[in-house]
Amino acid sequence: MRFVGALIAFVLLAPAAVVAPVAADEPYPSRPITIVAPFPPGGVADLTARPVAAALEKIMKNPVGVVNKTGAAGAVGMQYVATSKPDGYTLLLALSSISIIPEADKIFGRPPAFTVDQFVPIALISADPTILVVRAESSSTVDGHGPSRTWKTAREFIEDARKRPGQISYSSSGIYGTLHMAMELLSHAAGIKMRHIPTAGAGPALNAILGGHVDALASGPSVVIPHIKAGKLRALAGWGAQHVAALPDVPTFKELGYPDAEFYIWAGLFAPKGTPEPVLAKLRGATREAVNDPGFKSAMEKLETPITFKQGDEFQKFFDADAKRLAEGVKRVGRIEEKK
Amino acid sequence: MLETIQNLALGFSVALSPPVLLYAFVGCVVGTLVGVLPGVGPLAGISLLLPATFGLNATNAIVMLAGIYYGAMYGGSTTSILMRIPGEAASVMTCIDGYAMARKGRAGAALAIAAVGSYVAGTVAVILLMFLAPPLAAFALRFGPPEYFALLLLGLLVLAYMSGGSMLKGIAMAAFGLLLGMIGIDQMTGYFRFAYGVVELGDGIGVVPVAVGLFGVAEILATAGQETPPAVMKPKLRELLPSKQEWRESAAPIGRGTILGFLIGIVPGSAHIISSFVSYAVERKLSKTPEEFGRGAVAGVAGPESANNSATAGAFVPMLALGVPSGPIPAVMLAAMMVHGVAPGPMLIKQQPELFWGFIASMYVGNVVLLILNLPLVGLFVNVLRVPYPLLYPAILAFSVLGVYAVNGSVVDVWIMMVMGGVGYVLRKLDFETAPVVLGVVLAPMLEMALRQSLAMSDGHYGIFVHRPISATLLSVGAVLVLLALRPLVTKTLDWRARMALAEKGEG
Repeated sequence: MRFVGALIAFVLLAPAAVVAPVAADEPYPSRPITIVAPFPPGGVADLTARPVAAALEKIMKNPVGVVNKTGAAGAVGMQYVATSKPDGYTLLLALSSISIIPEADKIFGRPPAFTVDQFVPIALISADPTILVVRAESSSTVDGHGPSRTWKTAREFIEDARKRPGQISYSSSGIYGTLHMAMELLSHAAGIKMRHIPTAGAGPALNAILGGHVDALASGPSVVIPHIKAGKLRALAGWGAQHVAALPDVPTFKELGYPDAEFYIWAGLFAPKGTPEPVLAKLRGATREAVNDPGFKSAMEKLETPITFKQGDEFQKFFDADAKRLAEGVKRVGRIEEKK
Repeated sequence: MLETIQNLALGFSVALSPPVLLYAFVGCVVGTLVGVLPGVGPLAGISLLLPATFGLNATNAIVMLAGIYYGAMYGGSTTSILMRIPGEAASVMTCIDGYAMARKGRAGAALAIAAVGSYVAGTVAVILLMFLAPPLAAFALRFGPPEYFALLLLGLLVLAYMSGGSMLKGIAMAAFGLLLGMIGIDQMTGYFRFAYGVVELGDGIGVVPVAVGLFGVAEILATAGQETPPAVMKPKLRELLPSKQEWRESAAPIGRGTILGFLIGIVPGSAHIISSFVSYAVERKLSKTPEEFGRGAVAGVAGPESANNSATAGAFVPMLALGVPSGPIPAVMLAAMMVHGVAPGPMLIKQQPELFWGFIASMYVGNVVLLILNLPLVGLFVNVLRVPYPLLYPAILAFSVLGVYAVNGSVVDVWIMMVMGGVGYVLRKLDFETAPVVLGVVLAPMLEMALRQSLAMSDGHYGIFVHRPISATLLSVGAVLVLLALRPLVTKTLDWRARMALAEKGEG
């Protein structure tokens, strides 16, 4: 019954934690801190936020909770943090999509739900390069254009894509989603055109390639490695600056001569803009300790997500470069119906 | 075969160990609770409790989460039958005949049939899961967008028979639901449709607030509008159990619902919600007394309740055999495995036999636990009907608001529920059935996505639907159904729908 109690307490207390009154000169932190994960439980943001919260709680000796505020591909939760009080008690655990959503809003000429400069970066926690996978064996599924093919190397794949523009298909987590942007950056860097089949998330995108309904997929290593090991999928190349530790033989697009095909699914901690500098300093210090916490390390190991910690200028530089690449990618994709 | 039995023995040795048994029990209890609470369904329940399982070991965590999932299917029928409020979205169909049975004083019987049907379906589905998981999973993956579209279309055709009186009214309601389902981000282009600047509407109109609003809130409003308050019922103990006649009537629907639910459940992306709709439609079609549906038909409770339970087991097939998330709930459960360092994937059964077989065995145990838990609770739950309305209904309204809010923590959802309550009230006054609206809201995004994904795959060629064997088969079955529906036009025999319309005219 403990869990039922927890459920009821959660429902009743979650809003209360957000609106608790603030004393003017209390030392920080003196009340519970909330990390908002803008995606549902079980997603990358949630699974990263929870061990971060647990480690921060231990280090700051102050309760740190995770609240999932989901909706509109993360925009609901991000907007919520962007407009909440900049006092260090409401933080955001964002993924790469934080730079994509405002750009997509711009393309459609709608008022942006939030803008990137409404946040101050605290720390980058992880940055996983996406991996290009194809089916290990060519599938017999008929898609109206003959059986889908398979490729042994990334060069073979790119050459074939060049010969048959718009014929090789790939699934993604959704339009303008991270998996779509990775492929878009590759298409631009290699000068190829592929057919995009958006799905409702990273899971359905994986199902599509396993079922032989599409030819290729860009996805985070932890998602595809079990299927590579089982011999269902083959990794051709990665979008990172270095090889992925679990796939040492898989080259990077950089090595293959496409330096612009660089992309990471990253997770970072942010605070609303205007958070006082001493509070930020405290949070940065605590996060630096948190990523070295053994509990946090083992949690990330189980998720097969290597920790990539960056702070201050280093994170800002990474963040800016990433945001610029993605903004250009989104602009190139543009509005879909205008491309007819 | 022998190997399976040996493995199952291993599984039971895991499942019957005290800690696993305890967590299965906790999962079932919590599941029943989230099922009973209006609005809070298995996905919300599992999501809220996922963090609480991080401290457990992998087997305990998975067993408990699975218990919540199928436990919610048991609990979901309770408020549907007693108060016409769907405890979770898959129980919408149970609201119709279950509540009608309750008004006739057969609440206890309806609850007992729902529990036994769920038990039979849950147990048979686990047996199917155990023996057929690997081959079925491979088959399930062949369901790409074109197959999925054909399946949904076939579902819609089957359901065209669902509405009671006027076919026109039924279709109008389904169309209204489909239109509501169009609200939100266009998944293929990223456009916000009909969101009017409300970011929360980007995800569309959720099925939970619509179902609770159209059924629960509308029912409360309609009752409040009556001149005399409905009589408070005093259920007697001997009326709690179904009669022999009722058992006989429910046996075949339970069997059909089980098979149907399991098959629909294994298809990735397909929701257990649809299985209950299709089962209801099938039962009505096969029934000798279709006019009883909507007025307390036993089969209208037994079929859908069995279907939604075996669909949950079906959904585990691709998840366990291939490690692919076949829907939002299996996706959360896969995440739970990853948190514990268990890599979900095609190798899971070989690498983690204790986990896999322990999980299977725990589902046998869990279903027994739920039956033992739910049958005595029937006697307790029906007492809700003794509570006078001025006390009961405000309490239900409060729980509905709480439940709908808890799903996404969104006030917008609460507003949607309230508006749908008003809409549902008006529709009831005008004699429209509201179940097709819920179905439309569920189907519209899936149908549209599948159609447009298929066309993206084929570069705009509609041939993709007939070139692929599974989708071609499904579409042919649909075509046959349409032809059968046209038969009365040729042979001039009246079907039950026409007979019913005539009878109503006679009455009027």
